[in-house]
Amino acid sequence: MTTMKTMAEPILTSTPSGRARSRRALRIVRRIPVWIIVAVLLIVVLYPQFWMIMGSFKTQTEFLSNPTWSLPQHWDLSNYIDALTRGNVAVNYRNSILVTIPAVCLIVLFGVAAGYALEVMIWRGRNSVLLLILAGIMVPGQMILVPLFTFYFKIGITDSLWPMIITYTVDGLPLATFLMAAYFRSVPREVFEASTMDGAGALRSFFTIGLPLMRNAILTIALVEFFSVWNDLLVALTFTTDPSLATIQVGLLSLNDQYGSTQYGPLFAAVSINIVALLIVFVFLNKKIMSGLAAGSLKG
Amino acid sequence: MITRRSRRTLVAVSLAAVTAVTLAACSSGSGASSGNAASGKDPKAFTVLTANENPTLTAELKELASGACSAENKALPLKSQTVAQADVVQKVTLLASQNALPVHFIAGTAMVTPSGDLGKNGLVLNYEKELKKLGVWDDILPGAASTVTSVYGQMVSLPYQYNIEGIWFNKKIFDKLGLSEPTTFDELMADAGKIKDAGYTPFATDGKDAWPVTRLIGDYIFRSMGPDAMKDVQDGKAKLTDAKYVKAAAAVQQMAQDGYFGQGFVSTDAATATNAFLTGKAAMMYDGSWLLSNINDKSQDIIGSDNVGLMPFPAVAGGKGSIDQWPANAGAAMAMNPKDYGPKVGQWLKCIANNYGALALKKDGVVSGFKINKTVTNVDGPTKMVQKKVSDIKQTVLWFEALMDAKSTSLAQSNVSLLTTGQMTPKTYMSQLQAGIDANK
Amino acid sequence: MKRVFGDRKTILILLGPTLVIYVLLKIVPVMWSLGLSFFDGNSLSGFTFTGFANFGRFFTDPIAIQSLWVSIIFALLATGGQIILGYLLALLYVFVLRKGSAFIRTAVFFPMVLPTVAVALLFRNLVSVGQNQGPINDIINLFGGKSVEFLASSVGTMAVALVMTYWSSMGFYAVLLYTGLLDIPDEVIESARLDGANGLRLVRHIVVPLSMPILISSIIFSFNSTLKVFDSLLALNNGGPGTSTTPLTLYMFQTAFNYSDYGYASTIALMLTILCLLFTLAIFRSSSRKAEA
Repeated sequence: MTTMKTMAEPILTSTPSGRARSRRALRIVRRIPVWIIVAVLLIVVLYPQFWMIMGSFKTQTEFLSNPTWSLPQHWDLSNYIDALTRGNVAVNYRNSILVTIPAVCLIVLFGVAAGYALEVMIWRGRNSVLLLILAGIMVPGQMILVPLFTFYFKIGITDSLWPMIITYTVDGLPLATFLMAAYFRSVPREVFEASTMDGAGALRSFFTIGLPLMRNAILTIALVEFFSVWNDLLVALTFTTDPSLATIQVGLLSLNDQYGSTQYGPLFAAVSINIVALLIVFVFLNKKIMSGLAAGSLKG
Repeated sequence: MITRRSRRTLVAVSLAAVTAVTLAACSSGSGASSGNAASGKDPKAFTVLTANENPTLTAELKELASGACSAENKALPLKSQTVAQADVVQKVTLLASQNALPVHFIAGTAMVTPSGDLGKNGLVLNYEKELKKLGVWDDILPGAASTVTSVYGQMVSLPYQYNIEGIWFNKKIFDKLGLSEPTTFDELMADAGKIKDAGYTPFATDGKDAWPVTRLIGDYIFRSMGPDAMKDVQDGKAKLTDAKYVKAAAAVQQMAQDGYFGQGFVSTDAATATNAFLTGKAAMMYDGSWLLSNINDKSQDIIGSDNVGLMPFPAVAGGKGSIDQWPANAGAAMAMNPKDYGPKVGQWLKCIANNYGALALKKDGVVSGFKINKTVTNVDGPTKMVQKKVSDIKQTVLWFEALMDAKSTSLAQSNVSLLTTGQMTPKTYMSQLQAGIDANK
Repeated sequence: MKRVFGDRKTILILLGPTLVIYVLLKIVPVMWSLGLSFFDGNSLSGFTFTGFANFGRFFTDPIAIQSLWVSIIFALLATGGQIILGYLLALLYVFVLRKGSAFIRTAVFFPMVLPTVAVALLFRNLVSVGQNQGPINDIINLFGGKSVEFLASSVGTMAVALVMTYWSSMGFYAVLLYTGLLDIPDEVIESARLDGANGLRLVRHIVVPLSMPILISSIIFSFNSTLKVFDSLLALNNGGPGTSTTPLTLYMFQTAFNYSDYGYASTIALMLTILCLLFTLAIFRSSSRKAEA
């Protein structure tokens, strides 16, 4: 924790002083604390993930008997084979994708529109509506499971992926709306007002100015929602009993036995596969964020 | 080794399948004539809801569907559903309230008792009655039937497992230290002391899941006050705050304080405890016969299956209980929905009763509460030993929390870590638990 | 100008879908559920009206009161830590690493995407004692200390849970706040620098006020999610030892789904919602006071 606190210092030291004689040498010296901080940070966040990946190559006995930091004795893939053949991993991944992507798209689409309507549009009662939506963040999510189950059952969609898609959308919307409103708030009003000078309506302004301007925010929220939906277990458990509808998180459960024992190797193998899959998504989206950055510099 | 065994299994299964198909053909003929056996209406499929964490049961039922019970499966196809173990009570409550219970389903212990939510609403089939009508009541081992009846108050679960619990011990360590199987609790403690002095952990203990510790309290109570001790508490004839009950908690607390459970046992999980025992770091481990699947797994069992012994929880001096009353359970409750119990479901039930015992033993080495109707060869040594012990049992006892409601059970298990670490006195532990039981009455 | 941004049709098109879904599938079920606070029982055994009995029970239930405190303490410490760490990281990204921050951002965010079960397992291993001692206790031994079984005490469990929360969520808050910091125009920073503001003063007087909306939103979001902490405390130590680290959500979940006492669980949920509301209002009030000053 103490290493984190020193992070404010580089900001102090990196401001131009102007009076130094050999600027270059000084700059390198000044960078040293930054590099130390970055190195410590990387070890803290990356080592545990490395540890999990190493765990995916260990046998149960090896994992439990050898020291925590030891490397696997053999690099064999049997845990991966076990993780992939136990249950129905391919089907689980397909379901996770089929649930996550529509849900995230709906959340982002509705959330950005609502955020714009609540923050940029001017009408009476918008603050109350924003508060109402904020209230949605406060209610514990576990509470709506039973009523929703009854509802889905009554309209006869329990044997599909729809209950999950709908529930994730409902759960994610308040946060997306709330954050989008906050992001819109930090944009000066003049930007939007200028866009309607030529007689364009507010709806057009939303598409031509609002959406492009919010590209970073949209991707950030999409990212956040993607991971929270992907990693959810509670909703997925409540609305599925058919193994052919199970998501990847539900599938992971079969790596525990009924008496509480865990198969560490296959569990870490499954988690590692998950890490790699998500890393690909993340790197892809992160690139988009960076290109969005370049485009966003127009806004001035 | 594995391939040889599986090939042999394959041959045996296909042979069994041929005979079973012919048998099934006959039986389904006779079943149709006595259609009054069924009280409900057949559904479209034989939906079975099992725990996600228990893939073995699902796999075995599937094997029955494609083998011995293929005729039944053709009439009423098997459809597997799964639920996370932690989610069973919620899910089954939800499904039942929507009138959408599967035909055959896992349920929480307290739900299927006559006063439980399912029992009260007539949503659990009485197997004894139906199996007798089907003429296969003999396929249920009497011991398993009595265990099921004493836990749930009625015969509402099929004994897909029949587990006994006791103290697994490492014969090698016992020999090395010149110890013999202790028969009294005091002997056990004396031995544990010697084992500890020799540098081994006396009891590998999964304190994270807590039940292995509360089981010891229960066993001590059964040994000192007899098999009905916990029923008396439930019936209000005795209180957990009575001195003898408190003494059981104190005895287990003392074991922990003496370091017999090993360092850091409160946060030790099941896999770690099992590993400590099977790699020879711990001399004993209290666990159920389901540990066989780990013992028979050569990659986990480093000490060798010949070196593993199983002894009953020892007698308590001057106690009313006896050492040969083994604690037993029949796995999670697997109930049937009477509304869906039609003739075709009846045939499924009959086929399961006929074939499950042999299949489970042969395929996964699972000791179930079904009679074994075919000779199964090639059973692992330790499994054979357990099977023999099971068949010799005359009387069984339940476990500590068996008759408690869900909330008291959870209280018993969550507080036990406070008890063993000395943050709670035996008296407080028992009085909180008694209050929990009283609150549910 | 106002007329353009007050167009009813536009508002309806943009807000309509969200509002319909939200009211139908969130507000209505929540009301239904909270209404059950006045009943006893569950959907299978049937409900009986008990008036305010559940509320009386809540305030006399020692486990409920204990859980209330666990939730509040956890929320305060977790929010404080993760917002401070997240903000420092965001500053690091924007002002020190600048364009080169992409990799670090990804790396620090990444723990967030790991399943809680796996993260809890990791931390259990880090602090384990006994046969296979974890690195934390090795370090303690190295300095001559005795091994500590963190998970056997409530303070230890809470500490591990907090570090675990910081580890997995600081990157998330960093990205959230970073996006907000990016929106501050470079000219504002530059002109402040020309005016002689630098370092800490620049951050305090220029950057923090300008990023206030997103900072407040983050704090509100953080409180609302940490007050509802569930799976990390469950996976780490099952709310133990005893029930000493059981938060309200876990107690509610057990009451509803394991003990099938839906009415009382709804009462607990209502109390939790009220708690979230109070915290949110308190933050709003203090932030608006700051804005006025």
